[in-house]
Formats: sequence, C-alpha cells, structure tokens
Amino acid sequence: MPEFTLTEEQTSLRDLARKFARTEMLPRAAECDRTGRFPEEVYRKAHEIGLMNLNVPTAYGGAGLGLVEQCLITEELARACSGMTTTISANNLALEPIVLGGSEEQKQRILPPFCGRYNLASFCLTEPSGGSDAGALRTRARRSGDEYTLNGEKCFITNAPHADLYTVFATIDPELRHKGITAFVVPRTAVGVVAGKDEEKMGQRASSTGTVRFEDVRVPVADRLGQEGDGFSIAMRTLDQTRTPIGALATGIAQAALDYASDYALKRHAFGKAIAEHQAIQIKLANMAQDVAASRLLTWQAAWTIDHGQRGTLESSLAKCFASDAAMRVTDEAIQIFGGYGYMREYPVEKLLRDAKLTQIYEGSNEIQRIVIAREHLRAYA
Amino acid sequence: MEIAVLVKSAPDAETRLRANAAGTGLDTDGVKWVLAGYDESAVEQALLLKESVPGSRVRALAFGPSPRSEEVLRAAIALGCDAATWVEQPSDLAVDPILAARALAHALSTLPSDLVLAGKQSGDDEQGLVAAAVGELLGRPSFSGVTDLRFDAAAGRFTFSRAVEGGTETGAAPPPVVIGLQQAWNDPRTAKLPNILKSRKAPIDRLAWAGVAAALGEHAAARSTAARFRLPPPRTGAKMISYKTPEEAAKELVRLLREEAKVFP
Ligand SMILES: Cc1cc2nc3c(=O)[nH]c(=O)nc-3n(C[C@H](O)[C@H](O)[C@H](O)COP(=O)(O)OP(=O)(O)OC[C@H]3O[C@@H](n4cnc5c(N)ncnc54)[C@H](O)[C@@H]3O)c2cc1C
Repeated sequence: MPEFTLTEEQTSLRDLARKFARTEMLPRAAECDRTGRFPEEVYRKAHEIGLMNLNVPTAYGGAGLGLVEQCLITEELARACSGMTTTISANNLALEPIVLGGSEEQKQRILPPFCGRYNLASFCLTEPSGGSDAGALRTRARRSGDEYTLNGEKCFITNAPHADLYTVFATIDPELRHKGITAFVVPRTAVGVVAGKDEEKMGQRASSTGTVRFEDVRVPVADRLGQEGDGFSIAMRTLDQTRTPIGALATGIAQAALDYASDYALKRHAFGKAIAEHQAIQIKLANMAQDVAASRLLTWQAAWTIDHGQRGTLESSLAKCFASDAAMRVTDEAIQIFGGYGYMREYPVEKLLRDAKLTQIYEGSNEIQRIVIAREHLRAYA
Repeated sequence: MEIAVLVKSAPDAETRLRANAAGTGLDTDGVKWVLAGYDESAVEQALLLKESVPGSRVRALAFGPSPRSEEVLRAAIALGCDAATWVEQPSDLAVDPILAARALAHALSTLPSDLVLAGKQSGDDEQGLVAAAVGELLGRPSFSGVTDLRFDAAAGRFTFSRAVEGGTETGAAPPPVVIGLQQAWNDPRTAKLPNILKSRKAPIDRLAWAGVAAALGEHAAARSTAARFRLPPPRTGAKMISYKTPEEAAKELVRLLREEAKVFP
C-alpha cells in the first residue's frame, strides 16, 4: 500500500511553493485576471528560486523532480493563480518531448542553456483545423539534404507569444496520418517563425496563448527528435507525463474555492445564524470537500504509479478528467455560497470558475479522456 | 569569520493555536513548526555578513526537541548556512530561557565563534532572554534590538544600529560579541529549490542531552515554569463596511470611529 504521509522533503517543497504562491502570485492574481497582463516578474522569480523546469533531470539543469513532487508544487501554485501556473507548467510540457525523445547529444546541447536562465517554451501540437485528432495535423515538414522546411500554423499555444523555444509536431506526409508525425525543436530566432498576438481568454488570463506560424522555417536534421514518424508517440508519451499535474492544477483551483467558501460560510449570517449552520450549505461544503479530496487522491495515485515506472495512461486520465470536472462543480458551488457577491468581479470566486473551465479542455479534452478511460477499462473485460 | 546563529522552531503564523489540556501551555498537536520571524532575520544577517567577509562560515545551532529542531536547522542550511548543530532537548524535559541559554552556551564553548547572532526574542515565547544570557555565560558583551549590523574590516570591529526611544543609537564592538537582532529589517531571502533538496542530505552535528546535562551539573534543570496559558477571547462585533471607493470606505470608517466607537471627538 502506498503511504499518504509526505516525507519531510516533500513537505519542504510544498512549503516553498506555498510561500511563493502567497507572496508572489496571489497579490497579483486579481489584477492580472482583470487586465490580462503577463506577469513576467513572477515567472523570472519562479525560475530564480527553482520552481520552473521541474521535470528536467538535474544533469540537464532542471529540478529533476518526480511527479508526486511536481503535483504537490503545482497544486500549491494553482491555489493562488492557475493562469500563472499554466505558464510555468507549459515549460514542462514543451521540454518533456526533448527529455523523452531527444538523443543524449540533443539534451546536452539544448537543455542546460535553456534551463540555466529564465526562458519560456511552447509545446506546439494543436492546429486551427483540430486539436483532439492529433493524427490529422497539417503542418508540413519537407526534407532536402540535411534539413527540413516547416510550413503550417499552430493555435492555442501556451507561452507562444513569449517563448524562446518551440517543440513542434509536423507531418512528413499527411497520408501517413499519425505514422508521419515528426517532432522538431525550433528556436524562436529561426527565420520564418511568426508568433501571433496574445488571445483574449475567458480565464487563466495571466497565461499567454497564441498562434505560431512556420513560414519556410529551415530546421537542421540535428534538431529532429527521434526518427521520422516518432512524433505521435513522443507527443502521447509527453501527455502521459504532464496530464497528472493538470489534475493537481485543477485540485488547487478547487481547494482555493473550498477555502474561500468555507471561510465565507462561517462569517456570513442569514436568518440569525452563520450560513454554515444551515444544512443546505453544509451539504454543499461536504460535497465540495469530497471532490477536492478525491481529486487529490486520484492525482497522487497517478503520480505515484508513473513514478514507479508504469505508463499510467489510465490513472493519469482518471485524475485529469475527474479533478477538472470536480473543479467546475466546486467553483460553481463556491459562487453559490457567496450569493450575489460570488457573481461580482470584486470577489475572488468567479475567477476560479472561469479558470477551472480550461482544465476540461486542454491537455486532451475530457471527452478524449473518457475515450481513453473506457478503452483502458474495457480492455480488462474483453 | 566564524558566525554562529541560534535558531528555534516556532509555530507557523497560520497555525490555529489552542491551549493544552492542563492549561499550562500550547497544545503542540498538529502545530506546524517553522524557522520564523526574528530567527529568519538572524539567519539572513549571518548570510549577509558571510557574503561581505570572504572566508566566513556560518553555523546554525538549535536547542529543542526532535524532529522540529532538525527541521529548522535544515531550513537554515537550505538558506545558505554551512553547518548545523542540534543540541538535544529530550521531549519530556521542561525548559526555561536560562536553561536554553546554558545548553547553547555549552555548545558554543566547544566551537569557534567571532559572532553569535540570535533573534532578539523567539517567535513564540518572546522572553528575549536567551541572547543576553548566552553573552553573560560566555563572558562576552551582548547587544539587543540590533539592526544594520556590519563588519568594519579596516577597524576590525562590528558596527550596528539600535532603535531607541526617540531615535537611533549606533554602536561598535570588536569580536567576539553576542547580538540579538530586531525582526525583518533585512527582507529574509527564500531558499532555492535545489538547496532545499541538498539540505535534506546535509549532516547535522548532534550534542546529546546526557553530555550537556553532565556539563551543566546542578544547572541542568529549568527553574521557572509557566503556571497558566490562555488564548485571547474570540473577537466579537466586527463590522463590515460596504463601499464603492476607498475614499467612501475611509469616510465611513472615520464616522463610525467617531460616532459609534467614540475613539475621538
Ligand atoms: C488556453 C489554452 C491553452 C492551450 N495550450 C496548448 C498548448 O500549449 N499546446 C497545444 O498543442 N495545444 C494547446 N491548447 C489546445 C487544446 O489542447 C485543444 O483546444 C484541445 O485539445 C481540443 O482541441 P480543439 O480545440 O481543436 O477541439 P476539437 O478537437 O475540434 O474538439 C471540439 C469538441 O469535440 C470534442 N471531440 C473531439 N473529438 C471527439 C471524439 N472522438 N469523441 C467525442 N468528442 C470529441 C472535443 O472534446 C471538444 O469538446 C490550448 C487550448 C487552450 C484553450
């Protein structure tokens, strides 16, 4: 049986993240949500104290943490501001293909200089014509001699307007479907990389999302990850690693909503007593507490499974899908407990609902998660 | 320069405090213990001096029960201290500030130190006795409530300020000295993640209580105890002011203070 007590090391990492979240992120969360400002000073500081590139092994300049530790940190950061957390986590998502699919030479060459100073990266899979059906992507990679020429457009790419490095999934031949997909590492400085503007978003507004166009971008063969056709597998194995922290991110949002709602319910009075003494409110809080606890446990289970060397496709889908749906329920009820104030921008809970919505969509929509869960589940009965 | 910094675990500011069943002290069940307040400032000061005087080393010392004392020592190492000494306090041993000072002074007598730094008081008991008593026991001058401590290498002495009634006093003293620091004037740094990971594996020197007790002889026991411990009564009657602009809120607050609370005419 796994243990549910954290080690002292895990506790001190969580405390570091909590302190950073409270002192650096939370005080700016409402302002960045209102204005959509990208708080670069927060990200620079996160890098300085070591809260970025958590998944990159220490040999290549990262923190080299396991998924359990990554989840503990991610939940604490997201409790303060999930938008800022998405910016920070997007580096892990963009670098994981290099960690998983890069050669030793590529890792040595690319990762230490990247991790050594403040840099952002983007994972470029989704295209305007579709995200879920990654096998149908259209960005083309044509080889001539020792280089490829990339042409195409990616959209909804986190960090794209600010990134220094892009991991790009392109096809050498659309007819081959997922067997043609190939992964490349493209620096921002490559000629023909055009990062579009920041999109206006419903939530997680401290993060930055945009398009990237590749116009005859020349990429040396040395910057291809794995072989031609390995890209789909690299992308899927990457998402197997990064999906679980999205469960932790959603848990952090839900925990914040539960914190605010519980505190408010004890202070707000109606009909002569605190609303927390009305059973209808107690039932809401009890349901919310169950959702938060179950989200956290599913997330820890997935992280633990993967840290113990298994692929964890089922466990990570269970965690991401449940925690993100739970975050929607919990933030919705938090608004309800706040009553009219909950609907007001001046109070912190409506932001949490807008932020939570994204967790059902990105890193594999929850419809796709359910397809995966059902497939893995039915396999045991077939 | 050899710098020793005394640190103590104190309840995290967010811990919900309760009295123990006997009503004589804090209920330590579920309390989260951290390096806090004055002690954080003391560690920061030690590190600033280390950075300004080449070849310096900082050793953190804690007298207290396990495991929380080792935890604050690891926190000090993660922040940049070079070494740590845990002076064991058996968990059932009653302690008062003078006993703590005697145990620490004993530990310090076995180590080189040009400067002993501490918070001017601990983050929890706030007696403010330990630094001064350590100075007395070591036969060294001690100063309390100190800010802006520096080492003047040319003159070979420490210079510092103290906030006193009506102004600021500046002082100077050659090593070795004992200094109790004022809190949070130096914006303590945050430990970096890789240093936290490294601190988990750092060695902590342990001075067993048996040896300390033997050295202290008849002084190895507390001579004062707390008779009663109470938390302040819960606050009541908070009034929320609803407002559209801060100006409006300020106006309403002044009106309430004048007309209802009658704190000024
Ligand atoms: C803020 C934000 C940040 C993002 N960051 C990144 C990033 O950094 N990198 C990146 O590559 N992408 C990123 N994305 C893209 C995201 O991963 C996609 O939006 C997502 O995968 C869904 O793709 P789509 O939007 O094209 O929707 P579609 O794939 O067109 O799907 C539309 C709807 O149909 C459903 N659907 C699709 N197929 C099926 C099916 N077989 N059965 C049932 N239902 C189905 C979907 O679940 C969805 O509800 C981001 C998106 C957002 C909003």
